[in-house]
Amino acid sequence: MSEPTAPADSHGPITRVGAPSSTVAHDHDSGHDDHGDGHGSHGGIGQYLAVFAALCVLTTMSFLTYSSVWPWRDQPHVGWAFMMAVSCTKAMLVVLFFMHVLWEANWKFVLTIPAAMMAIFLALMLVPDVGLRNRMVSQERLLHMARPNDLLLMEQAAEAQVLADPVAH
Amino acid sequence: MNASAHSIPHGHDDRDAHGHDDQGGGHGHIVLQYQPGLPLSKGKLIMWLFLSTEIMFFAALLGSYVVLRFGAAVWPKPHHVHLSEPIGAFNTFVLICSSVTIVLALEAAKANKVAMAKNWMLATLLLGSLFLGIKGYEYSAKFSHGIYPAQPHSRIYEKPDLYYGSAVRARLDELRKVPLGLVPAGLRDEADRSAEAGGTVDLLKRLDEAPAEKLSAEQQTARGRFQKVQKMLTNPGQQPFDLAVVADQIMPLPSEGAGSHGGHASGLNDDFPWLRLPTVIPGGNMWASTYFLLTGFHAIHVAVGLLVFAILLTYRLDRKRAGMIENAGLYWHFVDLVWIFLFPLLYLF
Repeated sequence: MSEPTAPADSHGPITRVGAPSSTVAHDHDSGHDDHGDGHGSHGGIGQYLAVFAALCVLTTMSFLTYSSVWPWRDQPHVGWAFMMAVSCTKAMLVVLFFMHVLWEANWKFVLTIPAAMMAIFLALMLVPDVGLRNRMVSQERLLHMARPNDLLLMEQAAEAQVLADPVAH
Repeated sequence: MNASAHSIPHGHDDRDAHGHDDQGGGHGHIVLQYQPGLPLSKGKLIMWLFLSTEIMFFAALLGSYVVLRFGAAVWPKPHHVHLSEPIGAFNTFVLICSSVTIVLALEAAKANKVAMAKNWMLATLLLGSLFLGIKGYEYSAKFSHGIYPAQPHSRIYEKPDLYYGSAVRARLDELRKVPLGLVPAGLRDEADRSAEAGGTVDLLKRLDEAPAEKLSAEQQTARGRFQKVQKMLTNPGQQPFDLAVVADQIMPLPSEGAGSHGGHASGLNDDFPWLRLPTVIPGGNMWASTYFLLTGFHAIHVAVGLLVFAILLTYRLDRKRAGMIENAGLYWHFVDLVWIFLFPLLYLF
């Protein structure tokens, strides 16, 4: 915090604005003071490119779950958890570096945290009516909705090769 | 209290905040100035407020997708609905690149490198357009398989039951009375030209009678399969299973082991695209609704971003415009952010 330069400065929101604080040479770590500073780049182009490389590597990592290299193919939950972790990491990188949130003043929490809470609750509120909708189904829905045994039937049909010429699977 | 009192406004366009010493200097009284509660420019504040509503908007969409998907009895595998993971991954890469180029455009503008800023901005615009182009290609692939979000166009049936069987029969009846103008090129006849305008053609009969040299090797075997499928439909033995066989012949659901082969097995709808027979994709209707809703809203956001970039390109992108570019960039990064979650949720789950 800079010390007051005039008596009027101590009056809270009524303030005298001095010359912009001299820019410090930004190491990546010394850059985040509480002043929003409007000078130059925050981390430099090298840092952006490093984030870009990290994003590419992370995308490749989540893509790996699709390839045959992935060892947990029979346990989809492992892949899901892994991909969500990767996505959250990517999102953090984009928000912190590309959107400059790392260097913003504390207002960033005022705007993002309530929105994030709202977002989480919006999704949670859907669970009882939508997420659990198949616990109790009406007769009509039961008639028309697909069930796992329909999928099974389709798979059996594909294997049965009832027709003379098998489809090139 | 002091934290906000002493902070300096962030944006470059906020120059009135700096000028009061000159105005107040000679008059013997202090000119007081109110600082905004948040130490950032108005444009940026509004952009962040907008983004926080956007967070809630997309969270509701993504949340309902997740809840619908995991609450569903059956959900199609990505290959059942002809999603291509490599294309999705490439699109992710394109959006990440465009996020970098817009950041570089901002840095160039801050350094007053006008031409460079314009070039990076143009690169962003092109990458965004590439993303939309690929998305459009994917959409057209869905449409060509009869995957639409709603009924008149959608040919998705949930299960191989009697309703499905009668829908296939109804389509076959349609194919027996196809108006002359809609006959596919491969099955046109000399007689069609002289026939009167209102006439119709029995495409099924014409396919049966088509000489072998008019058809490719795959189409010749497919024709035999198609004839058996028709027989099976008119006189089914063990109904539910036969209809599952019919559905499998029309559009097979590729088996698991998605990584092993990228392409999908070819069904009658692929061998003869004009057939457009109803298909069975268990859970496919809900999938189509959520897929088109999520990617559609995302694509609208991309399009709006492209519009903003196109407008920005008409300006001189110097230091004065850095605030504008930053705000456009914030929006664009958010669009990228949404795709970061959409890609694994839609393509890899």
